[in-house]
Amino acid sequence: MSERNWHSHRDAKNARLAGAAKLLDGKFAKTEDVVKVLEALIKPGDKVVLEGDNQKQASFLSAALTKVDAAKVHDLHMIMSSISRPEHLDIFDLGIASKMDFSYAGPQSTRVSQMIADNTMQVGDIHTYLELFGRLFIDLIPNVVLVAADKVDHEGNLYTGFNTEETPTIVEAAAFHDGIVIVQANDVVDKVPRVDIPAGWVDVVIPADKPYQLEPLFTRDPQAISELQILMGMMAIRGIYEKHNVQTLNHGVGFNTSAIELLLPTYGEQLGLKGKICRNWELNPTPTLIPAIESGWVESIHSFGGEVGMEKYIMARPDIFFVGNDGTMRSNRALGQVAGQYACDMFVGSTLQIDQFGNSSTVTHGRLSGFGGAPNMGSNPTGRRHSTPAWQSLKPADDPLAKGQKLVVQMVETFGSNKKPVFVDHLDAEEVRKEAKLANVPIMIYTEDTTHILTEEGIAYLYKTDSMEERKAAIEAVAGVTPVGLRSKPQEVKNLRERGIVALPEDIGVRRQDAKRSLLAAQTMDDLVEWSHGLYNPPVKFRSWS
Amino acid sequence: MKSLWLFPGQGGQKAGMLKEVDPVLKEKVEHWTKVRLLDSEGGYQNSQQIQLSILLLQVGQVDRLKAKGWKPDLVAGHSLGVFAAAYAANVIKQEDVFKLVSLRAKLMQDSYPQGYGMGVIVGLSRQEAQQLVDQVASADQQVYLSNQNAELQNTLSGKITAIEAVLELARKSGAAKAKLLRVPNPSHSPLMQEVADQLRAALHQLDLTEPNCIYLANNNGHPVKTVEEISYDLANNLTHPVFWETMINVALEYDSQVSVEFSPGTAFTKLLKSKTDQIANIALADLTIDDADFLLNKWEGKS
Repeated sequence: MSERNWHSHRDAKNARLAGAAKLLDGKFAKTEDVVKVLEALIKPGDKVVLEGDNQKQASFLSAALTKVDAAKVHDLHMIMSSISRPEHLDIFDLGIASKMDFSYAGPQSTRVSQMIADNTMQVGDIHTYLELFGRLFIDLIPNVVLVAADKVDHEGNLYTGFNTEETPTIVEAAAFHDGIVIVQANDVVDKVPRVDIPAGWVDVVIPADKPYQLEPLFTRDPQAISELQILMGMMAIRGIYEKHNVQTLNHGVGFNTSAIELLLPTYGEQLGLKGKICRNWELNPTPTLIPAIESGWVESIHSFGGEVGMEKYIMARPDIFFVGNDGTMRSNRALGQVAGQYACDMFVGSTLQIDQFGNSSTVTHGRLSGFGGAPNMGSNPTGRRHSTPAWQSLKPADDPLAKGQKLVVQMVETFGSNKKPVFVDHLDAEEVRKEAKLANVPIMIYTEDTTHILTEEGIAYLYKTDSMEERKAAIEAVAGVTPVGLRSKPQEVKNLRERGIVALPEDIGVRRQDAKRSLLAAQTMDDLVEWSHGLYNPPVKFRSWS
Repeated sequence: MKSLWLFPGQGGQKAGMLKEVDPVLKEKVEHWTKVRLLDSEGGYQNSQQIQLSILLLQVGQVDRLKAKGWKPDLVAGHSLGVFAAAYAANVIKQEDVFKLVSLRAKLMQDSYPQGYGMGVIVGLSRQEAQQLVDQVASADQQVYLSNQNAELQNTLSGKITAIEAVLELARKSGAAKAKLLRVPNPSHSPLMQEVADQLRAALHQLDLTEPNCIYLANNNGHPVKTVEEISYDLANNLTHPVFWETMINVALEYDSQVSVEFSPGTAFTKLLKSKTDQIANIALADLTIDDADFLLNKWEGKS
């Protein structure tokens, strides 16, 4: 019996690289050879990670992948945290790829639905970020990864800077299991500002024709914050942040949470909460947090990614942000997700639909959007055993072995921007599961993990409910005039209020007439620039001046 | 700069709209179809007049814009608009498209002399509207949920009495608007099958060529790139709903940066503006071709 070859993967990798040798000078290939390089290094059926998240895109490599000869490269199994660009799907139309495992598809959700319906794309699973990143090291170990870097030196050391995001995680999965690491670089330099990824983990570098695509995804113009959102922000600060003494937290990306950020230095200050709440954050560098940082509310912020325009401000505030010895920020999505899920007292987010039981989802008919960070952040890590006041405040009193719980807050207006009720008996996601033949209903946050629902009507403290019937009644009490809310009975609401399961604004000392825009620490993008001492440089589309 | 060309269907026609049209092209069309185009209010009581005149307006604009060097990356036609869209995508020849639409209009005009038509519901979702249709529809009261113009704007097609019954239910369910449309056919429903069969036979005789851009299909909202799929849409779109909202969502996912709406009217530009600020808009009903050319050049320089 012949002995098994225990290094077949390494042999295969070396053979592929040898096949591409004539296109390479050391690790470097020419920009114009990119398609040939991909054809030489990628084989049919390969598991390929194409870097694309909701901010940074390996756009040079994704465009090149659509140009490979489908007779040579086909049936790829793509693994992508975010399906963001048209060419991410064009490769399925062209027969280059056939299967997809992903987390988020918001910007391409209509075409994803269509491609599943007509069998152009086979879906493995729709994952949370951590599930997907985790599987890169278990059963979705990639053959080839295509990633983006800001700068590369002549040896192949990479600088990924502010938008390091998930590049190190993807590269690690390939580099230590005989996968091939192909990098597009904005600039080739003699010396990188710092080494984010060492040259030894990199196989091929291709200078890109233009810088990778980067979206300012977390910039919210304060001008677009409504007085209803300000009211809800005040309720959140009073009825949740203060009540539970929340010190470590993650915010979603909506205007609701921007309102809270801008209320801390004003309303929060009036309540005497500075230093007592909201000290340590897992959050992208959102511009609307600048006033709170400048007024001394914030001790630290770790970020999943960067944010266009915030670079100089971050560099000038290294006490707050995670900054390298070169002075620029480093982000990390995988560690950020871990920190956000496991190390924070609270997650606050928003959604498009909440059902009568309290499950929520952003998947609607015809749009298989998947989810961003919410399913990780918005789930209760039951193995956690910290003793923070917020965590402990959710502990039932009557059980000697009881432990606390993460605060997971859904903050929604009862009717969405399309004037349709947010509260529904059944989520569209239930139908979508059948249409797209998914294993699980694409729920974003499960009711069992949801501890609070906050609307313009009031707050439902779901963690205090003892039964599903009581939970439903608490949700109905804050669901306004939606069909779900109309089932609510005044006597029942009175009872729930008396028992502290539901709170209306007046129960927590919030006066509706105080919810004015003048309460926001910054009311325009200009104000944010001023708060930042001119260090914040908003992207052009957010400027009223030029 | 990726551009999306939009072609409206019937509804926006008005007397005098052909004033700017190239007289040579107009003469050719009248010669090919044996229909004299009146461009008058009286004329626009007739389906053939309406359909041919709108197509003429759009084909003329396509030719002039192309002569300036512009071409679409995606085309989206609504109902009758699919023919100019297919023409803009280089799928069908000029003479063929006019003859085909002339036939289509004639067949439609003769198919349901009376008692059938369309209605519109604004303010209910497609699922909600479908539930109301299901309550009314029967073998005797034929009514179908048809076009999806926007998330909360859907049409009904069928027998007028059945449509009115659904509209009444819609008002009771809180629809912001529920009314009959001035359309004499149950278009975009299975009731148009016979017309579709004859159109398919006519299309079969034509020499069509592969598109040079993405064509957004009415019948399922998918982006299509083959002559077979486009030919199917041209023949059969009358028997399917127009999935306009889906078509536009797909166009935006393709990262379209500018939309050009061909005449008549500006309805689709308004719908698009209310939906997104991702895309710059041109409506040829409001601009001359020279102005449009100026704007396109300016935006191209910027992007």
